[in-house]
Amino acid sequence: MLLVENTKCECGHQNSVGTVLCESCGKPLENNDVSDLPLEMRYDGVARRSQKSNPNFIDRIWNFFSSVKIAIYLIILTFLTAMLGTIYPQENTFVNNFDPSVYYEETYGLPGKLYYLLGLSHTYETWWFIGLLVMIGTSLVICSLDRVLPLYRALSKQQIRKHLQFIHRQKTVFKHSIKGDGEQWAVQFGEQLKRKGYRIHRDGSALLAEKNRFSRWGPYINHIGLILFLLAILARSIPSWQMDNYITIPDGDTVQIADTNYYVKNEKFTVEFYSDEELPDKLKGTVRAKLFETKAVLYECVSNCNDQTLKPVLEEVKRHDIVVNEPLKYKGLKLYQFDFDMTPRLNAVHPVLVDKQTGETYGPFDLPMKDSALQHKLGPYTLDLYANYMEFALGDNGEPTTLSRDPVAPAFVFTVKGPGLDAAGEPYMYFPMQKDKVKFSQDAINHAIADKIEIRVDGMENVDFSEASTHLNVRIDKALPYVWIGAVFSMTGLLMGSYWQHRRIWLRIDDNELSLGAHTNKNWYGMRSDVAGALQKIGITIDPKSLDNGGNNA
Amino acid sequence: MSLIDFSSDAFIVAFFLYCFAFMFYVIAIAGKKWSNRDSLQHEKRWGRIAFITSNVGLASHLTFFFTRWAGSGQIPTSNMYEFMTFLGMSIMIAFTIIFAIYRKPLLGMFALPLTVIIIAYAAVFPQEVQPLIPALDSIWLKIHVTTAALGEAFFAIGFAAGLMYLLRVVDFNGKTKAARRSQFWVEFSLYTIIVIVGFIIAVFAFRGMGYEAQFIQEQSKIDSRGTETSTTDTVTYTLPPIVKPYNSEVVTVDSFLGMDKPVLEAPYWMNGVNAGRKLNTVVWSIIAGTILYGLLRLVFRKPLGAVIHPVMEGIDPEDLDEISYRSIAIGFPIFTLGALIFAMIWAEIAWGRFWGWDPKEVWALITWLYYSAYLHFRLSRGWQGRRSAWLAVIGFVIVLFTLIGVNLVIAGLHSYSGT
Repeated sequence: MLLVENTKCECGHQNSVGTVLCESCGKPLENNDVSDLPLEMRYDGVARRSQKSNPNFIDRIWNFFSSVKIAIYLIILTFLTAMLGTIYPQENTFVNNFDPSVYYEETYGLPGKLYYLLGLSHTYETWWFIGLLVMIGTSLVICSLDRVLPLYRALSKQQIRKHLQFIHRQKTVFKHSIKGDGEQWAVQFGEQLKRKGYRIHRDGSALLAEKNRFSRWGPYINHIGLILFLLAILARSIPSWQMDNYITIPDGDTVQIADTNYYVKNEKFTVEFYSDEELPDKLKGTVRAKLFETKAVLYECVSNCNDQTLKPVLEEVKRHDIVVNEPLKYKGLKLYQFDFDMTPRLNAVHPVLVDKQTGETYGPFDLPMKDSALQHKLGPYTLDLYANYMEFALGDNGEPTTLSRDPVAPAFVFTVKGPGLDAAGEPYMYFPMQKDKVKFSQDAINHAIADKIEIRVDGMENVDFSEASTHLNVRIDKALPYVWIGAVFSMTGLLMGSYWQHRRIWLRIDDNELSLGAHTNKNWYGMRSDVAGALQKIGITIDPKSLDNGGNNA
Repeated sequence: MSLIDFSSDAFIVAFFLYCFAFMFYVIAIAGKKWSNRDSLQHEKRWGRIAFITSNVGLASHLTFFFTRWAGSGQIPTSNMYEFMTFLGMSIMIAFTIIFAIYRKPLLGMFALPLTVIIIAYAAVFPQEVQPLIPALDSIWLKIHVTTAALGEAFFAIGFAAGLMYLLRVVDFNGKTKAARRSQFWVEFSLYTIIVIVGFIIAVFAFRGMGYEAQFIQEQSKIDSRGTETSTTDTVTYTLPPIVKPYNSEVVTVDSFLGMDKPVLEAPYWMNGVNAGRKLNTVVWSIIAGTILYGLLRLVFRKPLGAVIHPVMEGIDPEDLDEISYRSIAIGFPIFTLGALIFAMIWAEIAWGRFWGWDPKEVWALITWLYYSAYLHFRLSRGWQGRRSAWLAVIGFVIVLFTLIGVNLVIAGLHSYSGT
């Protein structure tokens, strides 16, 4: 036999299963609820969607996520796991040359190894952390829907004359015997409440006064904002919605931004430090940066963009001095000042070739460190570029090799043809930097040819240096507007819900007996002083605290 | 006299006014039981005197803030000293607002010592104006730091009211297991506060003596190309070295009570010379705090909770519960705005990402999640009163860890250094 719960109230209203207080007259429905403790007024005692009898599978999932208790557990779990991620630095704080599988063990020993193996070195990208956020999102949606709809229904059709039990079991209660006409009294009292900003609904000698109902929607608006925010964060994993690259540009260079049609030129990078006079005593003599600035120009490629063999045609689209806190912005692309490198870098030299036998010099010719021309003709001599090293070194097998692609110790090997030299050409090794010339003993390597010719640079005016390189962070984040929209919603909801409170006062007068009950969702102190204030205005002076009917402050 | 000197004087005036205001609040509450007076009249009179004093103190504190701003040309919230004084000032502002609503002089008895301890703690840090590094030179920094601090100040008032609630309701004569546990944790909370006071006293005592010890630590690193580079770091202790940095050599150690060399060495996993120094500071704080606590116990001959409890008699615990909740509910939106939203805007402008899981950011999020859990707990049956008071107390511990602990223990982008 199926046990059907009787949910019909004595006033004749048919309530749905799970209803605590009759939706119409407010009489408590729980059969065995005979206490006189203050009522549970959450959501005005209406049934939530999750309080169905015979839940099916989907209902069970719904019920799970609709529980505030589960929501709290999810929040607690999230912040506890977030704590773990702050024990050691996360992987994403390291930019270059970083191997997490050795770093954590090397730096922190066994705990570090475990930290890495458990995936805590990238806590915030782990499936379980993201899973928790998704569950919080689900809980936000379901908790809100489960409550906001029934609450909306309950608040939009409120009965004015409530059951006496309902009134007497509010948390703020006042009983009094009055003389004279009850209806007259209710009108007078309503006037006073109106002055305090209440809307008055009267039904004979019964009265309902209500204010700031909108604050009840605050939490739900806040939750909508949070959902938008979480969705925006998830949307960042859509390809091309997000980009986070680092580029290094020496002074004067133009570099393409990977995966885009844009090129950036660093016209000049400057860094200023605080002078000793500007620093307090303790910091004198220390290097404290005052300003970094990259004079940047952004170009867009207009033709020959994907053809490796042709020089791309660039068009200037934006010019901006990038400093920290003032990025270059162009159509969603943002360039941030990230770091800088003050190591000077050799860009090009303009050497001459000297015929040692005649003393004649030829040149100068243009020799950039990168992408040099393959052949140079100097008077009777021809130089063919045979090899070009950026950071010259001798490898383990004695063969020349390069350690990096930055011109730290550049070297060139030319095949030289000309008067007094072998017709097939003789190799000549050239180190543009004096220190390398000595270190690798250029003359010894070149043997006999070193007595016949020499390639050298005359004077500093024939050397092109860039004094510094700037490191820029390139970003695209298309989800950003939604993040801000979410934040605005959230904040609006929070303000609505926190700084205003929904207050209601019910009263009825039966045979000169006044029964008054009042409810608020927050700030009982304010609720009581509203009631006491209005009562005082019509000649009943009481201590606001005496209105308290016990129970807890929700 | 320069503006900055003037502002320092205003700060000292504010500090003493807060101390006086605290004493007046104690008189207002404890003096109610004195003979030959009407207790209501007494509380009203002294409560007003105390409130006026604390307001004059706040005015003086605001004078400090604005004259320092004018004198240095930058808003004074950019290093630990400036930030902590600002937090102290925010707590006073939050206190004044809550007091204006509830008019409970008792609240002053707890909010004022909190402010006094926080600004005394601030004075431990170097007080010079430091020029800004480029990342901090932004209008959003000012907005972010000030609103976040104001939000945290309301949490601080929530903490004060929560602790008062506990001191009011915990049965200090109870012998049951639950009563003993409550007694222990209330006492532990008070002890923790005294350890912080102990830290401040130790730092100032040794600073007054001009104590110094120096250590040098050599560290060698082998980079990916096999070249070995060694760096040497020196560190200056201002407290006698009970613990020296790991693998370090003594340069000089002043003798203190015959102690002229370090007793212990920091464990290997404490990286860097400053880790050793911080550990030493913690050890000293606990020693000084424990001595202070022991002395107080000797004077009163009973647990401190039991000493304060009688003063609270006649206070309605429901009021305290409500004040604590209200204060946190007022602070929460401000904290959200300041510590998360404005912080995200600033991070977006400065670094191009509104969120980077930097430890300070994560801890701000943890604080926010914690208090949102608190606000949801308040909706559930059985979580008002005592449990919620404990949540308010623990919450403030999290706030303090976010503000101070993260800087001491975990280094990140928010690099104003700790002692």
